[in-house]
Amino acid sequence: MPINALILLMMLVLISAAFYVGRSRALRTADRESVSLHSLPNYHGYFVALWTGVPALLLMAAMAMFGPSLTGNVIELRLNQAAAPLIEDFDSRQSEDSLILSAQRTLEASADVNAATQARAALQNRRTAIAENIAASARENGASSLTLAGFEYANLPPERRGLFMNDARALAFNGQPSEITPAIEATASAFRPVDRFVRYGGAALAVLLAMAGLAWSRSRVKAGFRARNRVEAAFMGFLMVCSGIAILTTIGIVASLLFESLRFFEAINWRLDQFLFGTQWSPQTAIRADQVGQTGAFGAVPLFAGTFMITIIAILVAGPIGLFAAIYLSEYAGKRTRKIVKPVMEILAGIPTVVYGFFALLTVGPAIRAAAEFVGFESAVTQSALSAGLVMGVMIIPFVSSLSDDVINAVPQTLRDGAYAMGATKSETVKQVILPAALPGIVGAFLLAISRAVGETMIVVMAAGQGANLTANPLESVTTITVQIVMLLTGDQEFDSAKTLSAFALGLVLFIFTLALNVIALRVVQKYREKYD
Amino acid sequence: MADSGNRASTVYHDAAKTLKGKITLDGVNVFYGPDQAIYNVSMVIPDRSVTAFIGPSGCGKSTILRTINRMNETIDIARTKGSIRIDGEEINSKAVDPVILRARVGMVFQKPNPFPKSIYDNVAYGPRIHGLASAKRDLDGIVETSLKKAGLWDEVADRLDQPGTGLSGGQQQRLVIARAIAVSPEVILMDEPCSALDPIATAKIEELIDELRENYCIVIVTHSMAQAARVSQMTAFFHMGDLVEYGPTEDIFTNPHEPRTQDYITGRFG
Repeated sequence: MPINALILLMMLVLISAAFYVGRSRALRTADRESVSLHSLPNYHGYFVALWTGVPALLLMAAMAMFGPSLTGNVIELRLNQAAAPLIEDFDSRQSEDSLILSAQRTLEASADVNAATQARAALQNRRTAIAENIAASARENGASSLTLAGFEYANLPPERRGLFMNDARALAFNGQPSEITPAIEATASAFRPVDRFVRYGGAALAVLLAMAGLAWSRSRVKAGFRARNRVEAAFMGFLMVCSGIAILTTIGIVASLLFESLRFFEAINWRLDQFLFGTQWSPQTAIRADQVGQTGAFGAVPLFAGTFMITIIAILVAGPIGLFAAIYLSEYAGKRTRKIVKPVMEILAGIPTVVYGFFALLTVGPAIRAAAEFVGFESAVTQSALSAGLVMGVMIIPFVSSLSDDVINAVPQTLRDGAYAMGATKSETVKQVILPAALPGIVGAFLLAISRAVGETMIVVMAAGQGANLTANPLESVTTITVQIVMLLTGDQEFDSAKTLSAFALGLVLFIFTLALNVIALRVVQKYREKYD
Repeated sequence: MADSGNRASTVYHDAAKTLKGKITLDGVNVFYGPDQAIYNVSMVIPDRSVTAFIGPSGCGKSTILRTINRMNETIDIARTKGSIRIDGEEINSKAVDPVILRARVGMVFQKPNPFPKSIYDNVAYGPRIHGLASAKRDLDGIVETSLKKAGLWDEVADRLDQPGTGLSGGQQQRLVIARAIAVSPEVILMDEPCSALDPIATAKIEELIDELRENYCIVIVTHSMAQAARVSQMTAFFHMGDLVEYGPTEDIFTNPHEPRTQDYITGRFG
């Protein structure tokens, strides 16, 4: 059984023991001094158990998280120490070597590209030769394999060092190394004892910590000790950590979005005006200087316009249909109708958006094209803003209808009674009393639906096309922010070109927009709630 | 249930003889689904006076009130049987549109329920939906008269465009009374109109009820026997869906004929 699993099991035993220790001590104290305890005996038990378990388990978690990198650091330190004389030798020979010095001078002085390349190659060759020379003489002098491995490691270019370490680690722990060299073997054998030390040391420390926690907290158990308050404070802390995780995740996501966006803005020389107000979007940048037509224009207005148009079409579909469906369900439909219709409508919300995408692409798109051609628009295409917007509208109907239904139901019955008692008919009551009363909530529902539509990706990827056209004609294909993000980040990409980085800036814009919408929507809904509670 | 037909309610017509009868209930039974809430109630409610319905919670007094403007129809499972006549006209007949009936029979509820509109629009609501005023000036006139009759004009004259929901509870209740008056009803039904109000607001409403009596037939459901004694001329005592005793308020409170009435008004149950 692996040591850590064993320790974990032991910890559980220790924690349950701690509970009984705390509990029985509290009972005995109360008995002996014949006073009443401040807290129930169980709370004393929990208190001791918490002090036994929490610090030790936290330590174990930290070891699990940072143990491997700690081991790695120790190994690196060892390698450096073992190879220190050789490295010193290498450095001094390098600084005296005439070939290297002259190559460095050429590199500094020369503006010519070819000369610089030659000098760099000469420098590299000479360095490799010196290193081999030192390694060979060290081997003859009977240097340890770890020393040789350390020297080899030190001479690796920085980007190869991680791979070397991973190979050594893999070799040491039954993994699959990408290659096996004597240096890697030597390092691997150095890994095992260090790893064992860190592992067993951590385990021992955890057990010690648990024991110390047990002893200390047990000594605090007295009749007047406020164990209940302590335990409750601990649980409050736990709850806080849980909510903190959600918040921290959000902050993390926003931060990554922000930093990548900043890199993009740097890449376009902080021409934010061009990004936000430019009307040409062609993110393909030139890789070679002689490429033509790859200007790399990052004007996002066509994307904003496309997003806007599709959202408008979607809300024009979903708004009336959703709202009227909600009115029918909450005011007119009988109990049985409502029982059947409402769940069926909510099935719409359960359809995966990619399926809506098929529907838009295979059914709605061709139908719209055929209709447009019939009317006389010869240039109509299958992938159009209209088909994407219509299908997206259908998708968000359940959002509008179910949220509106909720707010309409929240309108107090007394208002309806008041209107009916005045001799109002049902439709007058709905139009003049219920809708005005529910309006803020309905607006909130619409805003949430809009923010949903703006962020929707799959339908538009499949049904709206990809051309970044700046057009007001819904029969043409347009592209949206989300579609472009998908296009920019799928496939093999380097994450340092302005092209890929622009996706993050688009994501940031999208995030800010939907966040603003959500904040407004929640505000509106909240204001409405205050009124009737 | 089987003997519901035999449970005749005691009706005292003496007072109704001197006052002109407005509403006549004849053998009214109300059911909620399978449960019967009202058993065979017959009574004559006089015009231009206040009739109070009293009784313990769940005795059916609100239910019987809501039969008079057919508000029970807004509850799916409620059914009303028997005859209810206003000025001799049967209101439960198919020929009567409940929408028109409710313009003749106004109602005020337990909790003030002004619409989320301005004070003006609240009062103008009824006249508008029933087409009572053709010109803006007429409508202004109706709103002003109604608010004056409800004793609210002086308090709100300078802020008619503000939301009715912003008024105090007592003002809101007077606003909905003004709203009910605005369609010139003949009957005003009040379902515990003061139960959500403080004593001062209650006093104002009671004063208003007393004034309105000159022009309307008012039926009020109340939990407060003191209120019934203060504002009403006739009182009906309901218990378990039966009309136990009905007569001039003074008689009911000083000289009840039925032991159950006596027990209730002396506070032995309820």
